[in-house]
Amino acid sequence: MSYQIISIAGLFYIIAMPIYIVYLLTKNKKVGFAATGMLSTGALIHIYGFIQRFKEMYVINHSIMRSIPVTNLYESLVFFVLCMVLGYLFIEWKYKNRSFGVFVSIVAGITIGLTDVLGITKEVQPLVPALKSNWLLAHVTLSFIAYAAFGISFITGLLHVIMETKNKKSFKYIFSTSILGFMLFMFLSIIFDVVSASNPKSVKIFHSTLGNSSIVISIFSWIALIAMIFIFWKFSDFLIKILKSLKITPEFLEDVTYKGIAFGFPIFTIGGLVFGAIWADQAWGRYWGWDPKETWSLITWFVYAFYLHAKFIRGWKGTKISMIAVIGFIVTIFTYLGVNLFLSGLHSYGSM
Amino acid sequence: MLNRVNEKVWNFFASVDLAVALFIIISVGAAIGTVIPQSIEPEPVIKFFSKFMSISSAHKTYEIISLFDLNNVYHSWWFTFLLFMFALNLIVCSIDRLPALIKSFKVQPQPYPVQVLDKMPIKKTIKIKDDRILEKIKELFKNKGFSTYFFETQEGFQLQAKKWTKTRLAVYLTHLSILIILAGALIGTFFGFRGSMNIVEGTGLNFAISDEGKTIPLGFEVRCDKFEVEYYENSGIPKAYKSYIRIIENGKPVKENTVIEVNHPFTYNGITFYQASYGFQPTEHAEFRFTYFDKTGKEHNIKAHFEEKFRIPETSVTASVIDFSPALGIDEEGRLFNMSSEMINPAVLVSFEENGKKTQQWILKKIPETWQTPYGKLKFNELWGAQFTGLQVRRDPGVPLIYIGSILMCVGLFICLFLRPVNYFAVVKKNEITFYAPTSKGMVEKQIDEMINKLEGDER
Repeated sequence: MSYQIISIAGLFYIIAMPIYIVYLLTKNKKVGFAATGMLSTGALIHIYGFIQRFKEMYVINHSIMRSIPVTNLYESLVFFVLCMVLGYLFIEWKYKNRSFGVFVSIVAGITIGLTDVLGITKEVQPLVPALKSNWLLAHVTLSFIAYAAFGISFITGLLHVIMETKNKKSFKYIFSTSILGFMLFMFLSIIFDVVSASNPKSVKIFHSTLGNSSIVISIFSWIALIAMIFIFWKFSDFLIKILKSLKITPEFLEDVTYKGIAFGFPIFTIGGLVFGAIWADQAWGRYWGWDPKETWSLITWFVYAFYLHAKFIRGWKGTKISMIAVIGFIVTIFTYLGVNLFLSGLHSYGSM
Repeated sequence: MLNRVNEKVWNFFASVDLAVALFIIISVGAAIGTVIPQSIEPEPVIKFFSKFMSISSAHKTYEIISLFDLNNVYHSWWFTFLLFMFALNLIVCSIDRLPALIKSFKVQPQPYPVQVLDKMPIKKTIKIKDDRILEKIKELFKNKGFSTYFFETQEGFQLQAKKWTKTRLAVYLTHLSILIILAGALIGTFFGFRGSMNIVEGTGLNFAISDEGKTIPLGFEVRCDKFEVEYYENSGIPKAYKSYIRIIENGKPVKENTVIEVNHPFTYNGITFYQASYGFQPTEHAEFRFTYFDKTGKEHNIKAHFEEKFRIPETSVTASVIDFSPALGIDEEGRLFNMSSEMINPAVLVSFEENGKKTQQWILKKIPETWQTPYGKLKFNELWGAQFTGLQVRRDPGVPLIYIGSILMCVGLFICLFLRPVNYFAVVKKNEITFYAPTSKGMVEKQIDEMINKLEGDER
């Protein structure tokens, strides 16, 4: 089955993460190649799984345009990861720089892991009538390509803020290091959640750590979470040193952050908002209806519009502007997952 | 005095700060609307808040909420006001900046002082000896699509190369497109309407009910001749649903056999109909439709109402439908039960009577084995007239503007972000050239390197 192949790809992403860490620490070129190789192999397996999934969908839908596996939450998460990993590998190749691969593999690992711990259905489902449209392909794929670009700008933005903030008591510094710490904790927790679950269908997020039935483990997990955040907060100089030794300049990070947004924003506008509106116009008889998904897409759009205006008109530079990129992606995640998990609306086929 | 106030007001509306503030306030307002239930009826709102507080405080909260229209955010006066401010901000901004930008295109470029050039983030110097160097650089830039300008300065020859300078206008195209979209939305609100109609199979309606509950006469009648839902095999997931529509104007049918499907709307007289929903609604005129295959294999169509006797053709048997189930299932103990109110697998209980002897049998639409009766093969086709089709009805003269605005926005954004103006500067002295670029983009550095390589290659 396709989802098993994709799970294997996820495993490769997860294994790539420690190899990237070893590379950061040793700067050994061979280790670097191994890390990239691991991530690329994951991506290749992922593409193979994607094609398998496509074939499974084709058996049901008999239409090439409507068999692209981006029709439910699971498939969209998987597609998002694929776009982000490929986007990162492209940047790695173009800039000859493996600096933030570890964070990409963390985000990829978390996302693939989420499909397990949130209990999202992985079965191939037939299309409901509302999704039977050629706009599906254009609207959904472009949206997720944009999300992936925002994801990359989030990672580089975060690193940029940490690298450039001198005052360790400032909000943006504490905020960014907390996110890094939380991401690492979530990454590890998801691995434990999946490994320790007795039944693969009943894995729950943080069930083996923060929400463990044993109070001792639960308290220990909370301490671990706080410790990880503290370590990132306290010892970020070490991280900065490593980044600097890899010839990562703040300018490079700021530039990649900008490029991710400059690429993602028009794609998001055309694919997410405009194509979405045209499709809604044809399917539901209104191009805009303040559905939660629509509303949050607009908010996402505003945040990135804010970024561009701050950069070009107000001339904002440095960490100030990278913070907007970080917040922008948090809003994006909410638009993508939060709306489906917490709010109801017409995009419910994107739910679990 | 008045002028100064005027200027202040103008500057307020022309400021990017206002735009950014509006981005934030509109976002927060819109976000509130996705959390608090949007309903003019108080019950859903109170129910929502009673999850977090006591009932009496939920009632009080509702009062505050309805005071600020937080249960109807997107149509509230303050949200409309914010959108209006947003539009005004865009207009004033453009009027404020556009003329200066256009003027700057007409002004002849001036040489930059060396101090300014030295502050630029990219600076590269190469040593070179070539008499025709100026010509060469000029040609290099020209081949890459730049316009070039030369100045003689104290430090040597200054060269300015510019490309895509006019793409700075695209920002205003993007802003204009937002105004066009807002205008389209405004036109739709004032000159259009939205409503819905539920038409029972076999009947017609000549009005729709608006979202506010008002009756909207259409000026023609929409009849639903037939409605059908297809399900995926062995599941209750609908695959497709279709309404077969007839339009009757002044008593005459003007359109027949029109199919409306999800994602395939139908427009008549500027009013568009969208397949939105459907439902089960038994009516007096509902008709059970059968096909009877006699011994010679000939097919006979039979229509009958509920409990109405009909004759099985070419026999003395009479029959009638005495029970109906839209989705018949069999439970663990072998009993029949209704799985759903949707017509996933409609079935009828038919009572047969021959010479006073009565028998009865369930006939299931999707299970051919059940069509065999002691009196021949009786296939149950459908229960016609027991479902309604839910159509969304809309007239929106603003839609063309929305489409035009959307296209312009995409074009504007792509030019804005992918074709940004590129500027290079070069100072040519006797035996060295220094390149400068004001923005650090990976591409820029690469291009400079490329040019340097070319120049050096030529020299060798």
